[in-house]
Amino acid sequence: MTTSPTSDQQNSGRRSGITGKQKKRISWALQSFLILIAIIIMLTPIVWIFMAAFKTHVDVYQLKLFFTPTLENFGLVFDAPYYLGDKLLNSTIVAFVTVVFAIPIATMAAYSFSRFELRGETAMLVIILATQFVPAVVIILPFFVMFRDIGLLDTRLGLILVNLAIVMPFAIWMIKGFIDGIPMETEEAAMVDGSSRIQVIRNIVLPMAAPGLLTAGIFCFIIAWNEFLFALILTNKDAVTLPIGLALFKAEEGDLWNLLSAAGIIIMLPMFVLALIIRKYFVQGMTMGAVR
Amino acid sequence: MAEVTLKNLTKRWGDFIGVDNQSLEIHDKEFLVLLGPSGCGKTTTMRMIAGLEDPTDGEIRIGDRVVNDDLPRDRDVAMVFQNYGLYPHMTIFDNIAYPLRVRGTPKNEIEPRVRKAAEQVELTEFLHRKPKALSGGQRQRVALARAIVRTPKVFLMDEPLSNLDAKLRVTMRAELKHLSRALKITTIYVTHDQIEAMTLADRVAVMKNGIIQQLGTPDEIYNDPANLFVAGFIGSPAMNLINGSVQDGHFVTTGGTKLVRVAAPDSPSVVLGVRADDMRVAEEGEGDLDVRIYAFENTGEATLLTVQWGKQRVIAKGDRHLRKDQDDIVSVSLDSDHLYLFDPETGDRIKR
Repeated sequence: MTTSPTSDQQNSGRRSGITGKQKKRISWALQSFLILIAIIIMLTPIVWIFMAAFKTHVDVYQLKLFFTPTLENFGLVFDAPYYLGDKLLNSTIVAFVTVVFAIPIATMAAYSFSRFELRGETAMLVIILATQFVPAVVIILPFFVMFRDIGLLDTRLGLILVNLAIVMPFAIWMIKGFIDGIPMETEEAAMVDGSSRIQVIRNIVLPMAAPGLLTAGIFCFIIAWNEFLFALILTNKDAVTLPIGLALFKAEEGDLWNLLSAAGIIIMLPMFVLALIIRKYFVQGMTMGAVR
Repeated sequence: MAEVTLKNLTKRWGDFIGVDNQSLEIHDKEFLVLLGPSGCGKTTTMRMIAGLEDPTDGEIRIGDRVVNDDLPRDRDVAMVFQNYGLYPHMTIFDNIAYPLRVRGTPKNEIEPRVRKAAEQVELTEFLHRKPKALSGGQRQRVALARAIVRTPKVFLMDEPLSNLDAKLRVTMRAELKHLSRALKITTIYVTHDQIEAMTLADRVAVMKNGIIQQLGTPDEIYNDPANLFVAGFIGSPAMNLINGSVQDGHFVTTGGTKLVRVAAPDSPSVVLGVRADDMRVAEEGEGDLDVRIYAFENTGEATLLTVQWGKQRVIAKGDRHLRKDQDDIVSVSLDSDHLYLFDPETGDRIKR
């Protein structure tokens, strides 16, 4: 038989099975497939809610992809008897005030933990972290009794206090991480240059830790915004927040999915915006410590 | 401008002694180098002067004032750090201006003074940049400019060149020397690099284990080392330290060869110190002692001969045109004017 050398090479290449290039292609396809599955699983409920929020009450039970969108749901949820506006206001105030108090206090605590030798420092840090692992259901009853006795039940102040307790340990640990990343020499240089401790913190530490503070603040806001269990038990009328407000749409005529979805979007929207901001600063914050 | 006086200064952390009861007077306008291996207490001493570390005991004076209880900002010192300690979120201009601003300098004075400091370290074109956009050498210049923008009583420099690459270190060293001669401000400089110490210092304090081993001019510590540690630490290549004894006014090697006349009382055990420069290399049989070459190195400007001296190895410097090979035999002679004898027990110098 007379075969050209080229076809010989091609044959032997085929016989040797999968080449490196093919392997790469297969693994790429596999990865893409898995990622696609993950995306579908995670996004389907959100897509469903987005569609439901713009459907009429009649359409909502049909899995129609094409329908005439309506904005009436968003109007309805703010009207009687739901008054979602009140809940939105409550949620905003509670989450906002929580962050406004949590971040400065946590920053001071984190700075002390990071820069000073404190008696029982490790123990304190561990205890602070440990409070995060106490299941909320376990302590909710004492909270209820306490708040009932001092008249904090169903008040925003009560919720703010609870949320502070929830976010503080997290905020302290997170901000401590950022401050640890600031080289000690930078602070010492500022002190020798003529700053007091307060000036060092204001002029050097805070600007350098700013991405970290912002990230921590947004995380705290999200936690407070989404907090459900305490709000469920400790409020019933005046201080009801958005996540609890969702229960309103469970009416005698069944679950009002279209209204529920509209309210759901109102809850989610700020989270999307914050996630966009956080994405930018989170990376920046992580690398900030590397500046030498 | 002022002198700095340390009196019985001690720093302890638990059982660990960082600086052990040291006294030191640094004169006005003097460039003093604290030299020693890492962990010898030199940086701790400087940090205590800066106020970044509290002394366990003793007194620190800057000028006429005891500053022990003063905050760093009240001591009127400027410091350059090993890792520069720049403010990464500020521009170079703001970095240099920071000491002025934080001390409330009038606004109209800040700009010209920052420009002048930047000019002195050749940084004017980078003033609008952030430290991130500068190279290591440029960052160290920023740190220098930040120190000289004010006229402090004392400059403190903590290994300012050790993060730079070898070539840059040499040029920056010269710039530093030029600058310090121009500014005439008391400077305390910490380094583990003996060349930096030799080239920059008016006086050098060689430290080990928290104790100053010798205080003197570069000439003194090079030519008149007080003990074995200083002798071995200063100089490159390091001083040869040869074990032997003194008999009848002569140094005798452990092998029993009577070698060179020394002005010292007889002693069964001494260490002879001799620098590579002070050993003459000659052809076999023409010097005091014939030795076998262990390694022959040509550095271009000179040749270095590591020779086997009994059980020890000794380095001699030869003429740059000398060509020998490993295992050749050469003869070395010692210059009796430049020999140092040490007590091997205490490490102290045996003076003639």
